[in-house]
Amino acid sequence: MLKSKTFVKKTRSGGVMKIVREHYLRDDIWCGSEACTECKQESTVLQTDACMESSLCSYPHYLIPDTNVVLHQIDVLEDAVIRNVIILQTVLQEVRHRSAPVYKRLKDIIHEKEKHFYTFTNEHHRETFIEREPGESANDRNDRAIRVAAKWYSQHLKTSESDTDGLKVVLLTNDQGNKQKAEECGLLVYKFEEYIKSLTANPELVDRLALSNDDKNEITSSKVLFPEHLPLSRIQAGIKSGSFVQGTFRASRDNYLEATVFIQGEGEDGTEILIQGLQNLNRAVHQDVVAVQLLPRNQWVAPSSVVLQDEGAAKDDNVEEEEEEKALRISAAEAARKATGKVVGIIKRNWRPFCGMLNVSQIKESIRHLFTPADRRIPRIRIETRQASTLAGQRIMVSIDGWPKDSRYPNGHFVRSLGGAGEKDIEQEVLLLEHDVPHQAFSQAVLSFLPKMPWAITPEDMVRREDLRHLTVCSVDPPGCTDIDDALHCRELENGNLEVGVHIADVSHFIRPGNALDKEAANRGTTVYLCGKRIDMVPELLSSNLCSLRSNVERLAFSCIWEMNHEAEILKTRFTKSVINSKASLTYAEAQMRIDDTNKNDDITKSLRGLNKLAKILKRQRIEKGALTLSSLEVRFHMDSETHDPIDLQTKELMETNSMVEEFMLLANISVAQKIYDEFQECALLRKHPAPPPSNYDILLKAAKSKDVAIHTDTAKALADSLDVAKVDGFPYFNTLLRILATRCMMQAVYFCSGMDNDFHHYGLASPIYTHFTSPIRRYADIIVHRLLAVAIGADSTYPDLMDKHKQSALCNNLNYRHKMAQYAQRASVAFHTQLFFKSRGILNEEGFVLFVRKNAIIVLIPKFGLEGTVFFDSKDKVAPSIVFDEEGPTLTIQQHTFRIFDKVKVTISLDASNIQHQKIRMALTDPVIPGVSVPVPDAEPQAKKPKLDH
Amino acid sequence: MATVQVSEAEKVYILHGIRDDLRVDGRGCEDYRHMEIETDVVSNTDGSAKVTLGHTAVLVGIKADIGKPRPLVPNEGYLEFFVDCSANATPEFEGRGGEELGTELSNTLYKVFNNKHSVDLKSLCICPGEHCWVLYVDVLLLQCDGNLYDAISIAIKAALFNTKIPRVRISTDEEGGKEIELSDDPYDCMRLNVENVPCIVTLCKVGHRHVVDATLQEKACSVASLIISVTHKGTVTCTRKVGGGSLDPESIFEMTEAGKRVGKALHAPLMKVLQQEEHLGKKKQKVGFLG
Repeated sequence: MLKSKTFVKKTRSGGVMKIVREHYLRDDIWCGSEACTECKQESTVLQTDACMESSLCSYPHYLIPDTNVVLHQIDVLEDAVIRNVIILQTVLQEVRHRSAPVYKRLKDIIHEKEKHFYTFTNEHHRETFIEREPGESANDRNDRAIRVAAKWYSQHLKTSESDTDGLKVVLLTNDQGNKQKAEECGLLVYKFEEYIKSLTANPELVDRLALSNDDKNEITSSKVLFPEHLPLSRIQAGIKSGSFVQGTFRASRDNYLEATVFIQGEGEDGTEILIQGLQNLNRAVHQDVVAVQLLPRNQWVAPSSVVLQDEGAAKDDNVEEEEEEKALRISAAEAARKATGKVVGIIKRNWRPFCGMLNVSQIKESIRHLFTPADRRIPRIRIETRQASTLAGQRIMVSIDGWPKDSRYPNGHFVRSLGGAGEKDIEQEVLLLEHDVPHQAFSQAVLSFLPKMPWAITPEDMVRREDLRHLTVCSVDPPGCTDIDDALHCRELENGNLEVGVHIADVSHFIRPGNALDKEAANRGTTVYLCGKRIDMVPELLSSNLCSLRSNVERLAFSCIWEMNHEAEILKTRFTKSVINSKASLTYAEAQMRIDDTNKNDDITKSLRGLNKLAKILKRQRIEKGALTLSSLEVRFHMDSETHDPIDLQTKELMETNSMVEEFMLLANISVAQKIYDEFQECALLRKHPAPPPSNYDILLKAAKSKDVAIHTDTAKALADSLDVAKVDGFPYFNTLLRILATRCMMQAVYFCSGMDNDFHHYGLASPIYTHFTSPIRRYADIIVHRLLAVAIGADSTYPDLMDKHKQSALCNNLNYRHKMAQYAQRASVAFHTQLFFKSRGILNEEGFVLFVRKNAIIVLIPKFGLEGTVFFDSKDKVAPSIVFDEEGPTLTIQQHTFRIFDKVKVTISLDASNIQHQKIRMALTDPVIPGVSVPVPDAEPQAKKPKLDH
Repeated sequence: MATVQVSEAEKVYILHGIRDDLRVDGRGCEDYRHMEIETDVVSNTDGSAKVTLGHTAVLVGIKADIGKPRPLVPNEGYLEFFVDCSANATPEFEGRGGEELGTELSNTLYKVFNNKHSVDLKSLCICPGEHCWVLYVDVLLLQCDGNLYDAISIAIKAALFNTKIPRVRISTDEEGGKEIELSDDPYDCMRLNVENVPCIVTLCKVGHRHVVDATLQEKACSVASLIISVTHKGTVTCTRKVGGGSLDPESIFEMTEAGKRVGKALHAPLMKVLQQEEHLGKKKQKVGFLG
């Protein structure tokens, strides 16, 4: 039977279009119940003995949730207890329309066999399809459709009932009106909370209920704390007229009363608007898309340099708040003021489940507790739970349900527990979750695209490849590296020139465009290296075996081969797919030893020496052009082989061979970038590093000035040169510190598509064009570059998405995001291991340097551990000493002592485990001695036992 | 236009019959053939009607779109006509064969309907000088068996009656920018007042008398015909002479009078039928093209 669905729609040009869709009704849609004898279905989903121990429904029953129940209570529906649920098509469509993540989760549940979730296509069923009636809103129609379907089910199951005793359907809705109407037509209907609470066997489910509207009122005082959010229509009108601006809300990490809203401008540049104070933040949560109204110019403020954390018991009165807010409003210099605004409405919430810990309420019987997320940018969340005592000390996940205007905190519900806090695996999981790193095992679909083992190179593979197996190729990597993606060779040609080859694992040979493996890799974007753990971008078979250019096996490679003279001038460049057989996989140290050992004269060593010689020339040339050598301290942990606990920590050492490999990788990347850009002007995937705006250098200039050192930041070259000569007598570490500061001034390098941008310059490397080609095993960008290059040299075929600059641009955005998150995760992992390390070491006294000066704190760097920590001067329990902060210096004067950047201080380091959620390294000043501020030097605790070192 | 070959003897037979007020198919001089009307036949238009008159069949669809009012009449909407002479109707329309006829028909329709006396054009105005509704009237000739004008005009009137224009609101934001807002209820729509929409009556001069609703054979016997558009009150809004022959003033007067009489009589039953069909609502049995 044919029906048509008609609706009118506004077109983009402002016209109105009537759209008619044909809608076919069928009579062969089955009910999916095992108990049904009428339907001619092949397989059933819903069980006959659909028993859930509910005190409300003692009979077997199926559940039919309405749309809002699915949207808000998906966490409960996901629980294994909830089975035999009928998801109506109406509900599924509405969910899909309203929330993509919930839709995906719902689909996952439906696919799970044990859950017995059945999708009933009621919209196409002859008896359950209804048409919208005059005067009925779309929502009312959907509600009616749900009721009609529920009615149909209850009658259908009654007639087909032959031996099953009273199988019933229960409609679950939280909508009072809908519930009443359903009762009128004689349906069994309960509110979701009612039903879940009746599940006597599973009381823990109640905790996971999202709080609904009526509950919220009980929770908070009726005092309105926040201004109302504007409706979307007014926001849109306001944005159109320019009175509001739209942007992404970014809460400040250091100060919970401050945030910025990033306004995406034309192309890459954007502006930021400062938001200050609880009222102006107006319940926006980090990463939400919000509408902001700018305040009049005279109300603009400067970002505060106070570090403020929302701590302590729940606050419902805003007395304390005002005090804290006052602390922000210390009049700032006119020049430092920034565009300031207030949030008037939320365009899109970006809530996800947050990891964190429970602050158990002091009142013993209370079921309302505050949850402190691990991410400090997320506000504390109020949840209801009856298992607070079990959850205390555990890492848990919580979802936000809403933030009413009369509540100081958002309301949320418990999702799941990850495990005990402080346990290494749990903490690792937490930081992966918090940084949105996809870390699940690869799915079967992905693995199915892996080559079959045993794998060997076939003659077909050889068709477009050059056989370079005879070359003396070797790889140089850090110790313990199993994903070797680059190898090198160098040999003298008959004409006296040198031939240098960089051979990169041919990952794009194994990962074909568009398949599940490719999509997964594109989503992951990068391999994430944590301390002692690696989260692969591609399955291990590829990353550590087939693609890894190990020694003495034949591997497919993509080679970039130059002919150079002895002055490292490139005479010829060519690219080819190849087969190589690496003769040795060396570590940096081994390679260095071979080069230095004058007795060795084998092919590999000769090759290495040639490479080293050229690399030095290349490096010199690059630095002459203005490439920056910056510094950031990287630490390495020595891990205990059994417990994987860190037992020692040292900063990474750089050897000549490190820079040798790096130099050729840079060269290969630049050559490839030029080639793919020449070939594909519109869709080459490149990497750029924009020059930082001059204001970024302020802190560096001020810091240098305090030591009477002049730094020029006009060009990269000037900066590099002035950094090279910046030295202070008797302060050898000064230059490194300065470079660390300079690194902090830099912009983030990003991937982009050449057709979408016209600024290609790489500031740090002083190269007009750059891309990533050399690590396809661990970066997806390189895979795309490989594909582009393969097409350019005719070694592979192209595909539509590769040439679509918009798709490429979207891909770049994801890669940039993943890359950034991977870096954060990496840092977080280092920080966690540092804590573990200090936990085992007890209290230490160390020397450090002041790296930054803040309004109420100094940030100290301990070079020995590459550790940064904050020394606070105004803790709440102490009488605040007289603190004078001078922005110009910047200096901080406490009583008589003035702190400047680069000051040498002594601190005592200990692990503050008082708050297990945020275990942190606590630093306290021991030298200079300031009465009332510094602490006496404690005895460094002798180590419990000498850790055994593994060899 | 579609023509038939009529022999001399046949012509004499027809002429003599008409002289005695008896036509070949048994009708009197002022009688119409059997007429069928069905509205709401094309779902993706805003209003549509299909009319069959004898073997003549036309389909009219009306699409409402938002446009800019004409500068001279900023507070009125307007109608646009297009007549498609489908080759289904007669092989003569194949290729560009029907183009000339189509233009001629649409020009006439434009004169007859697109004025404020026929359709309340002011009601089509959304925002004076900026937005108005434009009604695109598309006429499709499905079969030609004489008297196209009358059939088309009735179909247009029926289609206009059936037209449902989505209701829009103009919202003004603080800055004075205007935005068209669409109601999300598909039942919330505007109807047109078709009371004054005229019908066309074509009178064919055959011998010394004239007939309405001439068949193709009768047409072949006629030298000239007069097209008169008449409102329900009997007001003549437009007349036009078509055909090669000439008409003397006296017969023009006679024909006009007859046209007024016939036209006036045509409106009442037409409106009655349309209203009846409207009342059926969803229960209406769809006949469409299969019926």
